[in-house]
Amino acid sequence: MSKDDSSCGRDSCGCGENDETADESFHPMGEDYEEEMREMLDDTEYDTELGMDMAEDAMALIQGEISEAEFHDKYNEAVVEEFDVDDRPTVDAFEEMNAEEDESIFKKLTGGGDIADKLAGLDADTSQSRRDTMKKMGAAGAALGLGGVASAQGGSSDPKDDEYGANPVGDTSDEGTQLGMVIDLNRCDGCLECVTGCIEENNTSSGANWMYVLSYEDESTEQENFLVRPCQHCTNAPCEKVCPVRARHTRDKDGIVLTNYETCIGCRYCQVACPYGVNYFQWGEPDTPFDELMGADGDYDEDSLKEMDYEQRNQLLTENNDHIYDERGMWSDSRPPQGVMGKCTMCPTRQDGHSGEEKQGTVACMEACDAAGMSAIHFGDVNDPESRPRQYMRQRAEQEFARDTELDNGEQWGETVTPWAKLSAFKLLEDLGTRPNITYLGNQPGPEAEQVEGPVSYEQIGVTDNRKEHLDQYTFGAGDD
Amino acid sequence: MSSRTPSSDDIVRPMQSTSKWYYVLFGVASLLALVWFGLWSIQLSQGLAVTNLADWGSGGGVTWGLYIGAFIWWVGIAHGGIILSAAVRLFGMKRYLPVARLAELLTIGALSMAGMYIVIHVGRPDRIVTSVVQAYPVTVHQSPLVWDVTVITMYMVMTLTYLGLTVRYDLARLRDDLPDILEPVYKIATLGYSEAEDEVIERIVWWLALGVIVMAPLLLHGGVIPWLFALLPSMPGWQGAIQGPQFLTIALTSAIAGVIILALTVRRAYDWYHILTDDVIRGLTLWLGLFSLLFVWLQLQQVITGVYAAPLDQRTFAAAKVTAPAYQFAIGVVLIALAYIFAQAVRPSIFSVRRSLAASVMVLAGTLTEKILFVFEGIEYPTFSMYANTPGEYFPSLIEIGSLVGTIAMCTLFFMVILKVVPVIELHAIEELRGEGHSAPGDDD
Repeated sequence: MSKDDSSCGRDSCGCGENDETADESFHPMGEDYEEEMREMLDDTEYDTELGMDMAEDAMALIQGEISEAEFHDKYNEAVVEEFDVDDRPTVDAFEEMNAEEDESIFKKLTGGGDIADKLAGLDADTSQSRRDTMKKMGAAGAALGLGGVASAQGGSSDPKDDEYGANPVGDTSDEGTQLGMVIDLNRCDGCLECVTGCIEENNTSSGANWMYVLSYEDESTEQENFLVRPCQHCTNAPCEKVCPVRARHTRDKDGIVLTNYETCIGCRYCQVACPYGVNYFQWGEPDTPFDELMGADGDYDEDSLKEMDYEQRNQLLTENNDHIYDERGMWSDSRPPQGVMGKCTMCPTRQDGHSGEEKQGTVACMEACDAAGMSAIHFGDVNDPESRPRQYMRQRAEQEFARDTELDNGEQWGETVTPWAKLSAFKLLEDLGTRPNITYLGNQPGPEAEQVEGPVSYEQIGVTDNRKEHLDQYTFGAGDD
Repeated sequence: MSSRTPSSDDIVRPMQSTSKWYYVLFGVASLLALVWFGLWSIQLSQGLAVTNLADWGSGGGVTWGLYIGAFIWWVGIAHGGIILSAAVRLFGMKRYLPVARLAELLTIGALSMAGMYIVIHVGRPDRIVTSVVQAYPVTVHQSPLVWDVTVITMYMVMTLTYLGLTVRYDLARLRDDLPDILEPVYKIATLGYSEAEDEVIERIVWWLALGVIVMAPLLLHGGVIPWLFALLPSMPGWQGAIQGPQFLTIALTSAIAGVIILALTVRRAYDWYHILTDDVIRGLTLWLGLFSLLFVWLQLQQVITGVYAAPLDQRTFAAAKVTAPAYQFAIGVVLIALAYIFAQAVRPSIFSVRRSLAASVMVLAGTLTEKILFVFEGIEYPTFSMYANTPGEYFPSLIEIGSLVGTIAMCTLFFMVILKVVPVIELHAIEELRGEGHSAPGDDD
């Protein structure tokens, strides 16, 4: 501990009374607490002095005496040396500062390359070690009461904020990859290509329309409206919370919400807890037998896959173009077996690279939408500012802003109006607190919105809409015709 | 009313003689249970597609229906039964001592049927034990369904302990009059019995009763079971704090109706008019009236707050509810029963056991209908109501209705078997009626 430059004793730190005594701890809770922290740190495999120094400066950071970027810079080298990566919550401020400084030089050297791209690339390459580092930092930080750093950061600069103001997408899982979508409802023409794309990819049974498009009428508007409804892959998913067997879960790797088909007991509690109605139960024998699923001819099952190591397992699954087991060896993709719940998966086996690199970062519905020339669905990591959904949002926001500014003949909007404010974006039933990861651009359906037959009907594309009517034929003692 | 003096010979009569009607009823109940098992096997092989359930939302159906409705109904009867028995012991309501054990047995029978409904309801019953157990340490913190399984198990254990302890007194004293063939059962049940334990057992049972009474509203039918629904934010018909009191009143209403039916049946079969007196039935009828009134009151609260100026989703649900014929039936029969109970309270000559029996049957039909309706109508009117196929339609399929017949038959069989094994009326009750009453702990100090 370096007592000479202790930040305590300043009026702002709120522990001025302690100054009179022998307690010269930088920590507001006093010297004893500081000693305890030191002992805890000694018990870890990491550098105690680094931890204590950082903790001390973290206090200064919270008091606003040094900036986040300065704080980050000061320990950057030491942290990289100790943890391999420095991804403390202050990294954004640090990068921003560097970018400002380096941009001109960088541009001269590279002829105008985009530093953000480079940084994004770095991010992707080190994603595994990033998570590890965060865990290590979490352990060290918790021991030190470093939580203050995170909260100070959250208070001083909203992570959702960028130069446009509050970003409508970033309000999801706070860190790591979070797959999600931006769906531009203004671009949707109700062709239902995404619906068929999903059915073909996943071989879902009749009426199990994991991807579903509602054409609707609203009292307030004359125009035709659409609502594209995949699973919302909520960060705070009610379906997951109520599941009695943890079959419904969020995948650690990328934040998508999946069902473990091997443990689901088919109680359907997830289905009643989901406010969006995206779940489709496998009431009877699936229309497509297991043998006909992509990758079903592989000489493995869940048990043998789980025994393999990661590399071996995924090599095998990739060779087989497997569309059943994800990288963890969990049966969670394609249609569920009888008696088990299914829903939109965001194509986990694609994300795991089992269908080749070109399919990574894509989903079947987006592919179909793009192929139809609509490009209404934009899938990707919504925590990554350079991902397709985030870039698309920015582009749309700028368009709207430019259009509005033009219409107003240069009239001043004032600083409070940002491009984001010009963008009509919403999340479905956001006030239920589910924190959905699908962001819609366009009109939000009002309380009186009612689904109507769209320009292309489900019947026209040969897809069952009302599943109940379809299922009636299997009901015991009814529909024997 | 008979003026005969009750004796211990009375309560062992079911174990000493078997009438023709016993065989007939046993045969019919077995047949119905077998038919149900046949139907269930069809469901197990073809999947839940044989029911009339379907996906809500674009699917146009409801994913929970009669199975879950009947599950709550049975759980309600079970919880009400043990509450009744616990109240008798705890509050020294000696008048109802003759029906206390019937109520406890009703709890065990009904709870078993509720447990069975969980198995019937799920799509993969083969996985229940393995899946639930491996995830239990985590899911017990978050899933109301796991809380359900937990409290039902706990309740079963408590009730069995309760019964297991109280039955020792009777078995030890009536041993010579009990069938020899069951000797091993009685030996285990009375293992280590000595008269010195009576007082201790009474005290343990008193504490158990206290536990039941305290936990019933907080955790059991006034808590965990309604939380299965009330905690979900997206189904306005289920949401809300009133579900706790509502579930508890329905449970007590159903249980008292069940006990009246049971008491009248065994009274007739075994000539127990002097034990299960008209006076007891009249008292139970009044209790039935009280809880029916609470049930109707809480319904009224929900309907009025729902239709007046509630948020749109709640208003839509409330309007659909009051106009549903099934709801009108449920409330109608309970109101008729209430009218009778009120009338016989004012003018005692209106009372008859047949009328009380009819009122009980009507109330049970009403609560069952209300429970099933509560479940599927809740799903029919979600907050997110844009889907053209929502609200869908639901009427239970033959297999689903068959499950009701099957479980009622099985519960009947359970009682018919238990009648032959243990006295369904406590020896204490006989002693009490003979005026040689033992003093319950709590009374004397």
